[in-house]
Amino acid sequence: MSFSTIYNIFFKRNAVFVGTVFASAFVFQAAFDTAVTSWYEAHNKGKLWKDVKLTLGESGDDGDDEDDE
Amino acid sequence: MLGLRSSLKTSLRGMNLQSRFVSSSAVAAKSTYRTPDFGDYLKENNNADKSRTYAYFMVGSLGLLSSAGAKSTVETFISSMTASADVLAMAKVEVDLAAIPEGKNVVVKWQGKPVFIRHRTQAEINEANSVDLSQLKDPQTDADRVKKPEWLVMLGICTHLGCVPIGESGDFGGWFCPCHGSHYDISGRIRRGPAPLNLEIPQYEFDDQKLIVG
Repeated sequence: MSFSTIYNIFFKRNAVFVGTVFASAFVFQAAFDTAVTSWYEAHNKGKLWKDVKLTLGESGDDGDDEDDE
Repeated sequence: MLGLRSSLKTSLRGMNLQSRFVSSSAVAAKSTYRTPDFGDYLKENNNADKSRTYAYFMVGSLGLLSSAGAKSTVETFISSMTASADVLAMAKVEVDLAAIPEGKNVVVKWQGKPVFIRHRTQAEINEANSVDLSQLKDPQTDADRVKKPEWLVMLGICTHLGCVPIGESGDFGGWFCPCHGSHYDISGRIRRGPAPLNLEIPQYEFDDQKLIVG
């Protein structure tokens, strides 16, 4: 694909240009969020609440979240 | 360069198909600016398409990052206005209906307000349905006030000045407000006294043997 084809498809009409920017912003945000979250969870593996919860489940968690009013 | 300029001129001339016979602008007002020749500063074998595409791509990428940032900023502000988790957790209350025998009242607290739940007997349901609507101050059928006839769920706040009525008392077998003497019937409708409206019905739904208010 030559550069003039890219220009004609994406940049020639401002509506297409802005639309592409906004659409790819949505995609980028989702991808960026997923990437950062998965990196963060891999980096902190074993320290997160979802990991700690499993170890607590063996001893505690006898349903003391029921309020007694 | 010169060729480009002259071709621009001819194309401009081509656009202006209707030639002017009288020019309204003075000759002196017309620009005498001569476009400089930048030929010496241009790269050799410069691919104009490539650099133009590159420039637009960079502009678009900056726009992408800015719009993503603007979107998440706005989202943060909006999500800060929504109810927090502790508020949402307090917004509903669950009641086990199996523990309420027929003909008994239960009062639960929901968002700081009392909620009356009555397991009505068949006789009480018949009584509530037999009332002539023309006698009522705030006409409302019993069917409009309950989802299941045997379960009456309503806010226990007198519509007069906000006292909490007493259950199973009053002249109509329902509720009686001790503050100013409003009598409510077995459907929670105002029958006598200063209160203007029937007892309010909160949003609720049944989930098997559970009642969820809120």
